[in-house]
Amino acid sequence: MTFAIFLEQVINGIIIGSMYALIGSGIALIYGTMRVLNLAHGEFYMLGGYFIFFLAVTYGVPSWLAIPVAVFATFILGVLIQRLTIHYLLEKEGWLFSTIAVTLGLSIFLQNAALLMFGEQFQSVPYYIDGMVEIGSIRLPLQRLLIFVVAVITIAAMTFILKKTRLGWAIRATSQDRDAAAVVGIPAHRIYLITFGIAGALGAIAAAMLAPIYAINPWSGLPILLKGFVVVILGGLGSFPGAIVGGLFLGVVEAIGVQLTSSEWRDVIAFALMIAVIWWRPWGLFGKKPS
Amino acid sequence: MPDTAMLQVRDLNVLYGDYQVLWDVSMEVGQGEVVAVLGPNGSGKSTVLKAIMGLAPVKSGAVMFEGKDLTKVPTHEMVGLGISMVLERRRLFSQMTVRENVLLGAYHRSVNKETKSRLEWVENMFPILAERRDQVAGRMSGGEQQMVAIARSLMSKPRLLLMDEPYLGLAPRIVKQIADMIKRVNQEGITVIFNEQNVQLSFGLSDRGYLLEGGRVVLSGTGDEMIHSDVIRRVYLGA
Repeated sequence: MTFAIFLEQVINGIIIGSMYALIGSGIALIYGTMRVLNLAHGEFYMLGGYFIFFLAVTYGVPSWLAIPVAVFATFILGVLIQRLTIHYLLEKEGWLFSTIAVTLGLSIFLQNAALLMFGEQFQSVPYYIDGMVEIGSIRLPLQRLLIFVVAVITIAAMTFILKKTRLGWAIRATSQDRDAAAVVGIPAHRIYLITFGIAGALGAIAAAMLAPIYAINPWSGLPILLKGFVVVILGGLGSFPGAIVGGLFLGVVEAIGVQLTSSEWRDVIAFALMIAVIWWRPWGLFGKKPS
Repeated sequence: MPDTAMLQVRDLNVLYGDYQVLWDVSMEVGQGEVVAVLGPNGSGKSTVLKAIMGLAPVKSGAVMFEGKDLTKVPTHEMVGLGISMVLERRRLFSQMTVRENVLLGAYHRSVNKETKSRLEWVENMFPILAERRDQVAGRMSGGEQQMVAIARSLMSKPRLLLMDEPYLGLAPRIVKQIADMIKRVNQEGITVIFNEQNVQLSFGLSDRGYLLEGGRVVLSGTGDEMIHSDVIRRVYLGA
C-alpha cells in the first residue's frame, strides 16, 4: 500500500467515521440521559432516509430544503416515540429490561411498517453535488467532502448546545444526576423527550448524507445500529465526545482494514475491534475506568 | 411548637413496593426554625425529607406547605414554591465545574432572571466558591462539595431548605464549618430541616427535633427535653 492510497483510505475512513459518530452520539445521548439502550435507533436512520427520498426524489424538493425538513420530521418522530412508549416504562419497575424489549419491538415494527408502506425495492438519492477535488495525489468527490463538512457543523452545533445553552446544561445535569436535577427545577421528562428527538435528528442527518452512497430500504437501519453500538462501546457508553472519537476511529480502522484485506471483511474488522475493546477495556477506549 | 406552621406533615405513609418505610408520620415546622429529624440508621429519617420533596412514593397523608399540598407537586416545581434541598452525599453534577453547579441552582424560571445577583450573594457568603469556580466538582473534598451543594440549593432563593444528612462522611472539623454555614443560612431567615443520626451534634444547631424509630415518630421536643428523655436512651442504646 503506497502512502497516497493509505492517506486516501484514512480520509475515507474519517468521512464515513464522521457519520458513525453521528449515529453513535445519538445512542450515547439517549443512554447517557435515561440509561435506555435504544435498539430502534437504526430506524431513525432508515426513516430519515425515506423522508429524504420522498421529499427530494418523489416530490422534487431541493435538497437544501428537503434535508432540514426530513431532519425536523425525524426529531418529531423521536419525541413521539419517547412520549408514547419509553415515557411510561421509565415510571415502572423493571424499566431497564422493558425499555430494551420495547425498543427492539419498535425496531421490528418500524421495519415492517416501512416494508408495507414503501415496498422492498432499494431507493437512492442522487448526489447533492458533483465533481471532484484534487489535493496533491488524492482525489476526493465533493459529495464526500460535503458529508464531512455537515458532520463537523453538526458536531460543533451539538457541542455548543451541550456546553453553552440552558437546554444543554439541563441535559448534562439530568444525565449526571436525575434527582439532583429535579431538585434544582429541571423537568427530567421534558429533557428525555427532547433528547430522544435530538438523537433521532442526528440519525436523520447521517441518513441524509449517506443516502446518495448507500441504498435506502426497510432494513438499512440494522447495520447502522450495529455500527452505532461498536462506536459507543469504543467511546464509552453514554459519552458524547467519546462517541465522536469512537466513530472516527472505527471509520479509519475499517477503511485501512478493508484496504489490507477486502470489503467483505469490513464488519468482521468492526466487530473484532469491538470484542477486543470489551475484552481489554470494557469501559471504552476513551471512557474512564469506573472506580 | 410554633403557632402557625410553615410546613405540616400529616399522617404520612411511604411504601417502597410492599415495604413500608414511614408510618403515620406527622410533624410541624414554623417559619425561621431549625428542626432536626433524628433516628438511627434505617429509621426513615431520610425518607421524611425525600417525601416532602416528592422523591419518595407517598401512599397516603399530606404535606402542607403554606396551605399547598406538596404531595401533588412534582419535584422540579418545588423550587418555584420556595423549597430547596441538599441531597444526601452532596449529589453534585460531578463532571461539571463548581460555577456550573452553582449556576444550575438558579435553573428554574422563578429565579432564572436573578441568576447574577443570586450568584453574587452566595459567593459573597461563601468566598471559596469564587476561588474554586473552575474546578470540576467531583474532584473536591467531601466538605468542599457540601459547601457547593449548599450554595447550589441557596441559588433558588428558598424559604425552606431541606438537608439530608449534611454531616455524613465529614471530618469533625468540617462538620463544625458546615454547622456554621447552616447557622448563617438560618440567620438569613431561611427555615431549615435537616436529619442526623448523632443527637448531640444536632442540638448544637436545631431548636427542636423529632425522633424516628422504625418509621414512626416516637419523641419530639426541644433539645434539652429530648436529650434527657429515656426514649432516646432506649432507641440508641437499646436499654
